[in-house]
Amino acid sequence: MDLSAIFEAMQNSSVSEYLRLSLKAMPIVEAIHVMAIATVFGTIALVDLRLLGWPNVQRSFTKLHHDLLRWTWIAFGASVITGVLLLIVNAVTYYRNTAFWLKMGVIVLAGINMLVFELVTAKSAPAWDKGVKPPSAARLAGALSLLLWITVIFLGRWIGFTKGYDFSIPEDVQFDFSTP
Amino acid sequence: MFEFAEWLGTTPLSVAIQSTLWLTPLLQSIHILMIGVVFTIVLVLALRVLGRVRADESLAEIHDRFRPWFWSALAVMLATGIVLAIGEPVRETRALSFWIKMSLIVVGVVISLTFTRRMRAAAVAGGEVYSPRARAFAIGTVCMWLFIIFLGRAIAYDVEVWGSWHLG
Repeated sequence: MDLSAIFEAMQNSSVSEYLRLSLKAMPIVEAIHVMAIATVFGTIALVDLRLLGWPNVQRSFTKLHHDLLRWTWIAFGASVITGVLLLIVNAVTYYRNTAFWLKMGVIVLAGINMLVFELVTAKSAPAWDKGVKPPSAARLAGALSLLLWITVIFLGRWIGFTKGYDFSIPEDVQFDFSTP
Repeated sequence: MFEFAEWLGTTPLSVAIQSTLWLTPLLQSIHILMIGVVFTIVLVLALRVLGRVRADESLAEIHDRFRPWFWSALAVMLATGIVLAIGEPVRETRALSFWIKMSLIVVGVVISLTFTRRMRAAAVAGGEVYSPRARAFAIGTVCMWLFIIFLGRAIAYDVEVWGSWHLG
C-alpha cells in the first residue's frame, strides 16, 4: 500500500466521515489544536529564551526545564491528537499540499534538535545551571528550537490558505459554463 | 455597526489587506505566537498559585519577570487582531464569538491590571501558599483564556457554533 492509498483510507474512515458531517466537531478540534500549539510554543519559548540567556540567566535552567517540560508534552500530545483528526478529515488534499509536508518536516527537525539537546548538551547543564552563560551548543539549540517552532506555526496557518489550491489544472480540461 | 463594517470592508486599506495573499496568514501566525506567550504566562502564574511550579519564588517575583513580556505580547496580539478585523470586518462583526471574545479580553486585561496592582503591594518573600479561593480564581483565569482561544477559532464557524444566536 503506497502513501497516497493510506491517506485515501484515512479520509474514507468512519471517524473522518463523522467529523465532516458533524457541525460542532471541527471548530472544537481546531480550537483545541490552536490552544495546544500555543502552549507548546509558549512553554518551549521560555526554555529557549533561558538557553539564549535572554533577558538573563538568574533562574535555574534545570528547575525551569523541569517545571515546564510536563506541560509541553501534555500540550504536544493534544496537538498531535487534534492534528491527526484535522488531517483525516481532508487527508487527500493534505497529501497534495506542499505546506503540510514542509510542516511535518520542520516538526521532525525540531524533534531531532530536542533529542540532540536532551541526550548530549543537557548532560552538562549542572555546570551552567544558574548565573552562567550557557555554552554555544545550548544557545544554538535554543535559537534553532525557537526558529523551528515559529516556522511550524507559520506553515500551519499557510496550509489553511493553500490546501485545495495547490495543484495545476490539466491542460486538456475544457470548462463548459453554458449549462447552469 | 453592520453598516460601518460594510463600509470598512470597501476602504482601500481593507481591500489591500484582503488582496495581499500572504498578509492574513502572516498576521494570524503572529497572533497565534503572541497568544502562546500570553497564555503560557497566565498558565505559569496560575500553576504558581496552585503550588505546582517555582515554589521557591514568590508570585510577585514571577509576576515582575513576566510582566513586560505579557503586556508586549498582548499589544502585538491587539495590533495584529485589529489589522485582521479591518481585513474582514463584516465576518467579524456578524460573529457572536467575536463580541464575546472582545468582552472576555477586556475582563482579562482588568484581571491583569488588578493583579499587577496587588503584586506591587505584596511582600517579596517566596514559599507563600494560597487560599482555595485564590486557587479557584487561578484555574478560572486559565479556563477563561482557553475559552478566548476557542472563540478566536469559532469566529470562522459562527453559525455552526451558535446556531440561531448568530448575529448575521
